Amino acid sequence: MTGNRQPFEHSAVDDAGRVTRRDFLRVLGAGAAVAGLGACVEPPRERILPYTARPPEITPGIATFYATTMILGGFGTGLVVKSREGRPTKVEGNPHHPASLGAAGVFEQASVLELYDPDRVRIPRPREGVGGWDAFARDFALLPASGGTEQGRGLHFLMEPTASPLTNSLIERMRTLHPAVGFTFYSPLAFTGAMEGARHAFGRPLQPVYDLSRAAIIVSLDADVLDADPFCLRYARQFADGRRLRSRRDAMNRLYVAESAFSTTGGMADHRLPLRAGDVADLAKALLAATATPEEIRPAMPLLSQPTPDGPMASWVRAAAADLRAARGQSVIIAGAQQPAVVHAIANALNAILGNIGTTVRFIEPLLPTESPEHALATLAAAIDAGAVDKLVILGGNPSGTAPADLRFGERIRSVRSSAYLGLHHNETALDCKWVLPALHYLESWGDARAYDGTASFVQPLIRPLYDGRSVDEVLAVCGGWPTTNAHALVRELWSTQPDFTVLWARSLERGVIENTASPPVSAALDWAGVLPVLAAEHQRAARDSIEVTFRLDPKVLDGRFANNPWLQELPHPITKLTWGNAAQLGPDTAKRLGIETGDEVSIAFGGGRISIPAIVVPGHAEMSITLPLGYGRSGEERTARDVGVNVYPLRTRNAPYILSDARVRGVKPGSREPLAITQGHFTMQGRMIAREATLAAYRADPRTIAPAHEPAPSLYKPAVKSGEQWAMTIDLSVCTGCSACVIACQAENNIPVVGREGVLKRREMHWLRVDRYYTGAAGTARVISQPMACQHCEKAPCEYVCPVNATVHSPDGLNEMVYNRCVGTRFCSNNCPYKVRRFNWFDYGSGIPEVLWMQRNPDVTVRERGVMEKCTYCVQRIRRAGIQAATERRALRDGEVVTACQQACPTRAITFGSLDDPESEVSRSRRQERSYEVLGELGTEPRTRYLARIFNPSPDLTV
Amino acid sequence: MREQRLFAEFASTGSLVEAVRRIRERTAGPIEVNSPYSIPELDDILGLKRSGLPRVCFASGVAGAAVGLALQWFTNAWDYPLNVGGRPLLSWPAWIPVTLELAILGAAIGGVIGLLVATRLPRLWDAAFEIEGFERVTTDRFWLGAAVRAEDAARVREDLAAAGAIRIASVPHE
Amino acid sequence: MTSSPAHRIDTPIVLDTDDDDAQLTDRLLAPLRSKSKVWYALLALSGAGMLLFVATSVYTFVGGIGLWGNNIPVAWAFAITDFVWWIGIGHAGTFISAFLLLLQQDWRASVNRIAEAMTLIAVFNAALFPVLHLGRPWFAYWLLPYPATMAVWPQFKSALPWDFAAILTYFTVSFLFWYTGLVPDFATVRDRAGSRGRRMIYGIFALGWRGSAEHWQHYRIVYGLLAGLATPLVISVHSVVSMDFAITQLPGWHSTIFPPYFVAGALFSGFAMVLTLLLPVRRVFHLEEIVTARHIDAIAKMLLAMSWMLIYSYVCELFIAWYTGDPYERYIFLQARPLGPWAWLYWAMISANVLAPQLLWWRSVRLSPLALFALSLVIQFGMWMERFIIIAGSLSRDFLPSSWADYRPTWVDLGLLFGSIGLFLFAFLLFLRFVPFIPIAEMKELRREIRGTA
Repeated sequence: MTGNRQPFEHSAVDDAGRVTRRDFLRVLGAGAAVAGLGACVEPPRERILPYTARPPEITPGIATFYATTMILGGFGTGLVVKSREGRPTKVEGNPHHPASLGAAGVFEQASVLELYDPDRVRIPRPREGVGGWDAFARDFALLPASGGTEQGRGLHFLMEPTASPLTNSLIERMRTLHPAVGFTFYSPLAFTGAMEGARHAFGRPLQPVYDLSRAAIIVSLDADVLDADPFCLRYARQFADGRRLRSRRDAMNRLYVAESAFSTTGGMADHRLPLRAGDVADLAKALLAATATPEEIRPAMPLLSQPTPDGPMASWVRAAAADLRAARGQSVIIAGAQQPAVVHAIANALNAILGNIGTTVRFIEPLLPTESPEHALATLAAAIDAGAVDKLVILGGNPSGTAPADLRFGERIRSVRSSAYLGLHHNETALDCKWVLPALHYLESWGDARAYDGTASFVQPLIRPLYDGRSVDEVLAVCGGWPTTNAHALVRELWSTQPDFTVLWARSLERGVIENTASPPVSAALDWAGVLPVLAAEHQRAARDSIEVTFRLDPKVLDGRFANNPWLQELPHPITKLTWGNAAQLGPDTAKRLGIETGDEVSIAFGGGRISIPAIVVPGHAEMSITLPLGYGRSGEERTARDVGVNVYPLRTRNAPYILSDARVRGVKPGSREPLAITQGHFTMQGRMIAREATLAAYRADPRTIAPAHEPAPSLYKPAVKSGEQWAMTIDLSVCTGCSACVIACQAENNIPVVGREGVLKRREMHWLRVDRYYTGAAGTARVISQPMACQHCEKAPCEYVCPVNATVHSPDGLNEMVYNRCVGTRFCSNNCPYKVRRFNWFDYGSGIPEVLWMQRNPDVTVRERGVMEKCTYCVQRIRRAGIQAATERRALRDGEVVTACQQACPTRAITFGSLDDPESEVSRSRRQERSYEVLGELGTEPRTRYLARIFNPSPDLTV
Repeated sequence: MREQRLFAEFASTGSLVEAVRRIRERTAGPIEVNSPYSIPELDDILGLKRSGLPRVCFASGVAGAAVGLALQWFTNAWDYPLNVGGRPLLSWPAWIPVTLELAILGAAIGGVIGLLVATRLPRLWDAAFEIEGFERVTTDRFWLGAAVRAEDAARVREDLAAAGAIRIASVPHE
Repeated sequence: MTSSPAHRIDTPIVLDTDDDDAQLTDRLLAPLRSKSKVWYALLALSGAGMLLFVATSVYTFVGGIGLWGNNIPVAWAFAITDFVWWIGIGHAGTFISAFLLLLQQDWRASVNRIAEAMTLIAVFNAALFPVLHLGRPWFAYWLLPYPATMAVWPQFKSALPWDFAAILTYFTVSFLFWYTGLVPDFATVRDRAGSRGRRMIYGIFALGWRGSAEHWQHYRIVYGLLAGLATPLVISVHSVVSMDFAITQLPGWHSTIFPPYFVAGALFSGFAMVLTLLLPVRRVFHLEEIVTARHIDAIAKMLLAMSWMLIYSYVCELFIAWYTGDPYERYIFLQARPLGPWAWLYWAMISANVLAPQLLWWRSVRLSPLALFALSLVIQFGMWMERFIIIAGSLSRDFLPSSWADYRPTWVDLGLLFGSIGLFLFAFLLFLRFVPFIPIAEMKELRREIRGTA
C-alpha cells in the first residue's frame, strides 16, 4: 500500500500482515465477547477485554461454535463456524438451514481463509486527500435534515443483487427518503433466465424451487444443479438420497443430462448427451414434442413440428420422454441458469404438463431483481455518459473486471466525478475508484440473509473486525446520513417488529435460521400465449460448421471473486483436474479440427476482444463447442490472483453474456504459455478394477460380478491385537459427485499447506485427500467417475514395515499413525504405498506464509516441518477429542459421534465413518453391502477404507 | 652367564634356510628370521606352532552374530513392541541380514586384533632396526637373528659365514 | 624390455620383467616419487568436481530435498540411483582380491590393490548419498540402535537398517583387508624412504613391521581369513541393497530375482570401472610389464561373462512379468519401460549393457586398451541407466494411474552425480600418489614362485 498512511484505528493486522500480540489479544477478547461486535465509527474501547479476564464462553483449548450465514450470489447458506480462542478456524454446514442441510461446499469451506487474506483492504482511503470513514461520510453522506426530493440526485449505488431483508429495507428507506438516488444491481452470478421463462409460461416472473428427493426422473437441460446453483448443496443431498442404495432392492432415481461442458452434474448422469449450449433449445423443443400428448401441446404443435433430430440426440430424447411420461408428478425438468428464456419456458411448460408443479417443483415470488443484470448495467452506463451520475458508490462485486466488455465499464467509472468502492480486495474496480473502502468479511459483520427458498437467517460475526471495515448495510446507513450506522443495531431494529423478538433473536442466533420464514409457494398455471412467441422466435445458435463459445462460472473461483484464495486456486478442477489457471475446454474432435492438443492454444476473437488461451481436451465435451471458464487473468492488486490464468471477459458482451455463436476461433500450435498445472494427466483406469461401477440391472442380477465380496487374503501372520474402537471409513461412489468440498475441508482442518503452481507442476501437491477422476466408456459417450482417495489405513500397511525408524506405526484402534517428530524423511513409505496418498514436505511450507494466515491454523493439528512425511489421519484429533469427552462422561463412544472433516463437509453424505467393533454401526453395515470392495484389495493390505461400487441406472431401452 | 645376539644378512632364501638349519643344531634359543616376503617352508624348520587366530576369528564371529540377533529381538520385540504393518513382533526372518553382517564384522575385527596381539604390533622400535643395513630386509635381503652364548659366538659366526652370510653383526644381549 | 602385449598373449604372463627384487621394488615405488604432469592435471580437474559435490550437498542441506526433481510418486530418483551405482562399482574390488585369492588366481596380484582402493572409495561415496537423501539428514543417527530419550528404536523389518549394517560391515572389512595387505609394503616404503619425514610417516603406518617369519605366519592366516570373510560380503551387500526394492510391493521392484541380479550388475559395472582406472594408470606409470595384457584380457573376459549373467536376469525378469499375468507387472515391464516416455533410456540401456559387451568376443577388442576404455565407460553409463529405470521408472507408473507422474532432474541432481565422480577420482589420484598401489611383497613372492629361488 502506498500513498498517505493512515493510522489503523481498529486494525489488528499491519500492512505486512503481521499480527501484533496486543492487537491480537484485543481482537481475541472482543471477538469472544459476541455482543457489541459491530464496528462503529468510534469503537467502544472499554469493551476490549484482556485475555486474563477471559469471557465465560471461552475455555482455552476448547472450540466454540457459532451459527452464521454466508451470502453468495445474493442468497444465504447457513453455517456453523468453529472458533478457537476467538479465531474462526473452520466452517461447517448448519443442519438446520435449508440451503446447507449440514453440508458446506468449497466456497463456504474456503471462506475462512478469505477472512485472513493478507491482501485485504485495510483502511478507507481516497486516491488523494485525507482518508477515514468521517472523510468518506463528508464526501458522500446525504443530509436528511435539508430534505427535498432532489436531495441525492446524482448519487448512485451499484451493488450486487441480494435477498437480505436488511439490505433491501435500507434500499427502500433510501428510495422513499430520496427518490432521486439511483440503484443498479449487477453480478455475473445473478441469472434471470429462469424468471424470464416463468414470465413467458405463467405470465409473471417466478422463481422455481425444486425438490429432487421426490423426483424419480430428473432431466437437466444444461443445468449444473449439483454444483453450480444457490441451492446446490440441498439439491445434491436430495439427489443422493434418491439413489442411495442400502440393498439391491432399493429404488434409484435416473438423471438425464444434456450439456456442453462436462459438469459434476454431467458426471453423475445416467444418460449424458454432449450438446452445444446453443442447441439445447432445439433439444428442449424435441423433448416437449416427444413427451407431451398432442392435445397437451396442441397450441404449440405447429411450432414444434420440426423433424426430430437423429443420432444420439434422438435416442436420448426418446428414452427421456418415455421415462417422463411414465413418471408424471415424480419427474422434473431443470433448465440451465445460463440458458435463454425459451429453454426455461419449455421446461416450465413440461413441468406443468407432467403435473410436477407442487410435487417436485414449486414457484415462489422472486427474491432478486428480475431485470437482466447486463441490461441494468448498460442503463447505468448510459446514465453515466449522460452525466446523470456524479457520485457512484459501488458496494461489493467487481464490475470493472466482470462487466460486459462492450460497456467498457472501467473507463466509465473513472469518468465519474467521485466514486467509492467497498470491497475486500484492491481489485480492478478498486483501482478505478477514487475511494477504496474496506468491506467486512461475513465472519466479522452483523446482518441477515435469505436462502434461495426465502428462509431468513442472521449473519453473526465470530471475530472483531481485523481491519477498519464496514458492511454494505452500514455504508448504506452512513450514506443515508442516518443516526444508527451500526449493523448490529440496524438488524435488531429491523427484526424487533416481530412478535416476542427477544426469544426469536436468541433462538435464531443459536439455531442459525429464523423459523417459518420460507416463501410460500404461489400458484403457477401454464399459459401458452406467453410461450408461443418465444417458441416462434429464432434463438441464438451457432451454425453447424462453426464453433460455439460458451462462458462458465469457474467451479473454483466463480466470476473471479475467489481468485485470491490459494486453497481454491490449488483445488483441482472436478473434471479437468487443472489447478492455478483456466483453459479452453473442448472435445477431442474439435481439437483435431483445430489441429491442437492439450497445452496448445486457441485464439478467439469476437467484437473488439481477442484472447489467446491454452486448450485442454476433455473427452465428453460437446464437439464444435468451446467452454471458457470466467474469473482468471485478474489484473487487480491481489497478489495470489494476479495474472493466474487467462481473462476471458474481453469476449463477453451485453447481448451474448453466456453463449457466443459467431466468434472467430483458431488453433495456435505450439502453445507459447507455461505448461498447465494438472494433477491427474492420465484419463483411464488401464482396465484395472479401481473405481468400480455397474448398471443397476447388472448389480441386481449378480452383485459379485462388479465387486467380488472380499475374502481376506491368506496371511502367514496372526491378526494383530485389537482393543476398543476399530475405525473405518466407507465411501459410496454412487453418490460422490466429485465436487471436492471434502478436499478443502480436509485442508482447512489439517493445516495443509499450498505448494503453488510450481509445486503442482513438479507434482508435489500436499492434499491429504484427493479426488481421482477416471473417464469410462467410449470417447464420444465418455462418462466420469470420481473417487476420493486418502490414506486407506491398511491393517497390513506396506508403508509401516519399510520405515527404518518406527515413524509410522499402527495404533490399537486401527489407525495408521504418522509420527512427524520421529520421521527422518527416507520417503520409503511413499514408495511402498500402493495408493500414493503420502505427502512429503519438500520445503518448509509451514512458516513461509504471512503471519495473519496463521490465525486460521487448527491448533489441534501439528504444522509439519521440512523433510517429514504426512498423510490423512482419519482426523485423529477429532477421534481423540470425542474419546476424551466420552471418558469424562463415563460412557462409550456413540456411533456417529466422531465425524471426519471430509465426511462433515460432504453434500451427498457419500462418506461414512465409524467403528467396526460395533457390528451395527453405520460403517459396519455399509461394509456388509454386496458392492463394498477394497481398492487393490488383492495386495492384501486390508484397507480400513472401503468403497461402495458406483451403481448407475440407465434406461433399459437405451444402451449407455 | 653372558649371551650375545648375532645377526646375519643373506642375499638369497637358499643360504638363509641353510643357515637356519645349522644354527638350530647349535642353539635351542629363539631364532628370528626376517624376510621381504613370506617364505612358508621356514615354518617347519623354525618349528613354529600353528597359529591360533582362526579360533579367535570364529569366536568373535559368533559373538557378532549373537549381539546382532539379541539387539534386534530386544529393540523390536521386547523393549518397545509396536504393531508395524500387522507383522509379528518376533519376525526373525527379517533379522537375518543384520545378524549375518554383524557376524562377519565381528569375525574380521576379531581376526585383525588377534593378529596385532599375536605379533605384538604395532611397535615403533626393535633392536634389529639399529643394525646397519637391516633396512634392506623389506626389499631384497634376508636376516637371521639368534642369541648365543659368548663361548659359542665364534663357531656360530663361522657357520653363518659358511652358509653364505654377507654380513654378520652382533649386539650385546641383556 | 617394453614389449607390445600382442605377441605375448599366448603364454599366460603375469609378470613380464627380468628385474631382480631390488629393481622390481624400485619400479613399483617409482609412482610415489613421480612428478607426472598428467596426474596434477587430473587432480585439479577432479578437485573441481569434488568442490561441485560439496557445494550441491551444502545447498541441499540448507534448502531441502525440494531442490531436487523428486516428487510423489517418484520419491526416489537420482540420489538413490547414484547410491546403488557406486555400491555396485565397489564390488569388483572385493571380488578380485578375495574371490580370486581363494581361487589362487595368480594374475590378481598386481591389480588387487587398485581394485580394493577403488572399492573403498566407491563405498564411501555411496554411503554419502542415503544420508544426503534424507528429508532431515541431521537425524540420520536415528537409524542407529542407541537408547534415545524418545525410547524408540530402529525398525529392523525395514531394509534400510539392513543396508546400514551391510555398508558399515563392507566398508570396515574392505578397509581392514586393504590395510593388512599394505603393512609390509608400508614397511618397504619406510625403509626405502629418502627423507626422515617420509620415514617417520610411513613408519607409523607400517606399525613397526620387520618381516619376521613368525609374523609372516600369522599374517598369511589372517589375510586368508579376511579374504574368506570378504567373499560372502560380495554376495550379501548388494543382495541387501537390492532388498531396498525387493521387499516392497511396487511393480518393477517386487521381485525375488533381485539379489543375484543386482550382484551380477554390480560386478559388471565394477569390472568396467577397474578397466577405466587400470588402463590409464598402466599407461601413465609405464607398468605394462607388471599389469600385462594377460590381466587386461582376463578382466575383459570377466566383463563378458558378467554381461551374460545380466542378460539372463533381464530375460528372466521379462518372462516372469509376462508369465505371472499380473497386470501391474506386465504393464511396467512390457509397456512402460520399452514403450513409455522413457523408452529411449531403456533402449540406450539395452544397447550399452547387452549389445556393446558382445564386442568382447573379439580378441582384438580385448587387446585394444582404447576400445576397452571406451567400452568400460559405456558399460558404466549403461548400468547407471539401468538403476535409474528400475528406481524412478517403476515409481512413475505404479498401481493407480491417477498418481502417475514423470520426473525431471534439476541441476542439483546432476551436480551431485558428477560431483561424486569428481570426489571419487580425487581420492583415487591421492591413493596413487601416496600408497604403493601394486602390492610389492606379493609381487616379489610371485616372482619367486615363477622364477624359483635365484
